[in-house]
Amino acid sequence: MFLFLHFVIPHRLIPFHALNAGNLKSIFEKLDKTNRIGYSNQYWLGVSSSKSEAGVMSFLSRMFSKQQKKRQDDNIRQDQDPGKPEDLPILRDHKDNINRIKEELGNSTDVVIREYTLGTHKGAIVYFDGLADSKAISDFVLESINENHTEDVLNEPFKFLLEKAVALGDIKVVRDWGKTYQLLLSGETIIFLDGFNKAISGSTRGGERRAISEPTTQLSIRGPKDAFTESIRTNTALIRRRIKSPNLWLESMKIGRVTQTDIGIMYIKGIANEKIVEEIRTRLNRIDMDAIGGSGYIEQLIEDQTWTTFPTTYHTERPDVVASQLVEGRIAIIVDGTPFVITAPALFIQFFQAPDDYYFRFDISTGIRLLRILSFFLALIGPATYVAATTFHQEMIPTTMAIAIAAQRENVPFPAFVEALIMEVVFEILREAGLRLPRAVGQAVSIVGALVIGQAAVQAGFVSPVMVIVVSMTAIANFSTPSFAMAISARLLRFVLMGIATFLGFYGISLGLIFMFLHLCSLRSFGIPYMSPLAPFNIHNQQDALIRFPIFTFTERPHLISKGNIVRTGTNQKPGPPKKSENDSAKKGDQE
Amino acid sequence: MDTIKISSFQLFVLVFLFEMGSAIVVGIASGLKQDAWIAVLLGMAGGLLLFLVYHRLFSYYPDLPLTGYVQKITGKFIGSILGFLYIVYFIYCASRVTRDIGELLTTTIYTNTPLFIINTLMILTVIYAIHKGLEVLARVGELLFMMVYLMAFTGFLLVVFSGLIHLENLKPILENGIMPVIKKTMGETITFPFGEMIIFTMILPHLNEPKKAKFVCLSGMILSGINIIITTIINIASLGTDLIIRSPFPLLSTISKIELMNFIERLDVFFMLYLVIGGFFKITLYFYAAVLGATELFKFKNPGKLSFPVGFIVLFASLTIASNYAEHIKEGLKIVPIYLHWPFQIIIPMMLLVIAFFRNRKKKQKTNSDQTSKSEMSPANQ
Repeated sequence: MFLFLHFVIPHRLIPFHALNAGNLKSIFEKLDKTNRIGYSNQYWLGVSSSKSEAGVMSFLSRMFSKQQKKRQDDNIRQDQDPGKPEDLPILRDHKDNINRIKEELGNSTDVVIREYTLGTHKGAIVYFDGLADSKAISDFVLESINENHTEDVLNEPFKFLLEKAVALGDIKVVRDWGKTYQLLLSGETIIFLDGFNKAISGSTRGGERRAISEPTTQLSIRGPKDAFTESIRTNTALIRRRIKSPNLWLESMKIGRVTQTDIGIMYIKGIANEKIVEEIRTRLNRIDMDAIGGSGYIEQLIEDQTWTTFPTTYHTERPDVVASQLVEGRIAIIVDGTPFVITAPALFIQFFQAPDDYYFRFDISTGIRLLRILSFFLALIGPATYVAATTFHQEMIPTTMAIAIAAQRENVPFPAFVEALIMEVVFEILREAGLRLPRAVGQAVSIVGALVIGQAAVQAGFVSPVMVIVVSMTAIANFSTPSFAMAISARLLRFVLMGIATFLGFYGISLGLIFMFLHLCSLRSFGIPYMSPLAPFNIHNQQDALIRFPIFTFTERPHLISKGNIVRTGTNQKPGPPKKSENDSAKKGDQE
Repeated sequence: MDTIKISSFQLFVLVFLFEMGSAIVVGIASGLKQDAWIAVLLGMAGGLLLFLVYHRLFSYYPDLPLTGYVQKITGKFIGSILGFLYIVYFIYCASRVTRDIGELLTTTIYTNTPLFIINTLMILTVIYAIHKGLEVLARVGELLFMMVYLMAFTGFLLVVFSGLIHLENLKPILENGIMPVIKKTMGETITFPFGEMIIFTMILPHLNEPKKAKFVCLSGMILSGINIIITTIINIASLGTDLIIRSPFPLLSTISKIELMNFIERLDVFFMLYLVIGGFFKITLYFYAAVLGATELFKFKNPGKLSFPVGFIVLFASLTIASNYAEHIKEGLKIVPIYLHWPFQIIIPMMLLVIAFFRNRKKKQKTNSDQTSKSEMSPANQ
């Protein structure tokens, strides 16, 4: 009996496990109502009648078919979704439609179903409260429907709705339930009309969103102050405002069986390398998960190598950074619901470039960038050097300093490695705690941390003051890396190097660094060697690598990233006072 | 295997780092006192000529490494044996360099650390490098090349500013005549480090612009030769002739004499950093040559798979080739150059070249005559 039921009842209506003796009766009632009489009749009627009424609709359907086909392509992935309604057509009777919606959405209370009358035709407007802009609906849909209408309008009510009444920018005709739910859930309004096996969807996306605010993780002194938000549309607009080129293309897709997260791939046609775009497309298409939590998920699912501490994709919350990277030929991946946009391919040196590098003059920027790279290595090998120097290479410390360190370490009960490990771990705990604590308590933690680490531990003789200096130097140096993703990898590798330094001193550290360089050089980001343009060395792309040359030397895009279209400036962009001949001609022009 | 390609700049860097590798660390030709640099200069000249022999062989067979064309030139049987001997030779050289570095570290800084541990760590890093392949190694070379050069330059300035240079130590030039210098050149400097370029016959087929091979390698050799000469001169000038004979690592002695402002002193650590980098490249390239040869000879598909077994051989050979440092050095100075370097670096390649020359001439004549006969035939057919 159960088996039989399972075959007869479309299981999307009643899950199989819900079948028990108790609700068998209601199941049969439903079966009667929806499946046997209502559903199947309507289904067949709908098909036959649509053949008879050709006219306007066939024209319209032809008009929309292109768009629909494109959308279907985007949604191919949905077919694998077990919980999704199949592509069944919309029914003729709007009462049935409403019942169906109520049933399938489990009578969710945030679904608004507003019934209306257009002359003699009944209909219903359906939208999600909170997702759709209810003011737009009342102003541009309900009001025009409720006006008094002439006879000929009422003869062709659907055409009237589609062409006149629904005063919204983006409207579509939908014929199946899959599409209906998809549109409904992205905030659109669906308008059903009795007697038609199709519905109109109007774009009324809206609802509450966070306003554009200042960036919180990547601060800049002279740069623009806007940052991405959680809404994909706002984010694409922020980028488009900066690049007013028709060649800036945006491809959309939905990823996540259940979450159906909107993903946008943005690139500049003609500058971005087609192969990399295609590679990103295929890697995104490969993702088949139930939920996409944010751009962090996407990042981890498309990167070249998982077994590495180094980030091989870049993420930022600054639209100006994304815009400049797009112009360089990189590709941006925008994920709905996350204010961080991913860009790829990402190179090692890119994580040391801060937006202010380009807003300030080149000499200052170069100095600061070198300082950043230095501090990255300081954060990497700082404690390891301390351990190595105090354990193996006391002779390399100048004598007076060596005596001072030895005197301080006299009462410390631990070997240097244990001392360093304790301090580093305590610091990491404090940092993590500071991150998670409510803001009001944060200060208390910093006081406790400063007292415990700075004062009490030293006075109690657990650690030497030099160690405190080393740990705090390391910590501050680590914060000076502009990218958190890169800083965090130095944080982790620091412990590994500390361990090697304990056993083999500087020999261990240098072998560890060679190991790290080997690893870095073997990494690739979407096929581009991670350490380029340093290794493989490319003389043409050195203007923005270790040293930031003056802006007018930025004549070429990164060769490996934007293959083909490389020249980015006109000739002779070097600034300076006008040359003599130009001066003369200008004066002449004035006189005339 | 054929997809591995390195650029000419990368090859240049590899040549440079390889040549500089251990030659700077152990004082070469130090027995000649103040004339050591002349021996290096002559050795470089000889080495350049020798490389022309290797390059000629390469231009006959641009797609094959040494172990490949040895079989083409001398036939399958003898060629395979020769190729196998070359692989053993490369492995032996790799283990010698490993031992050199291990000995240096255990005698100077890590007096309590066993040689086994030091060598194991080095070999593990090398295995990782081989596993990642030649392209990655070349890229790391590019990165470290800049670092090494910066370090060398700083070191040079520090030596000069510490007032260590006494050029009068270099006089009198050629005190005992030219003969001892030539003897030393033939016995030592021509084979070490310049004759060691033989391993690049294994790597040249991977160059993306084969036409540049000659220029790149020769300029790399010249640049590294000049650097070695400068280092030798600085060592002699700052240590003096007495000290340089007795010092096992003259550069280390020079660097530890640096003293500036009572603060910059005892820079041995930077010497060690250089040593590790240079040694790493030397071992890795020898190792890679051996692995490539074995892949070619035994028809393996993936050279990376051989890295572990060959690595263990190198590691254990490095521990067992000599029972102590004195023995190791004596072998290195007296036996290895004459019984290993000379035959493998000079005699065999020259014989190969002679045979290859006649073979290819015959072939060329054949093709030439084929062409002429064809061109004679074709109008008749018409």
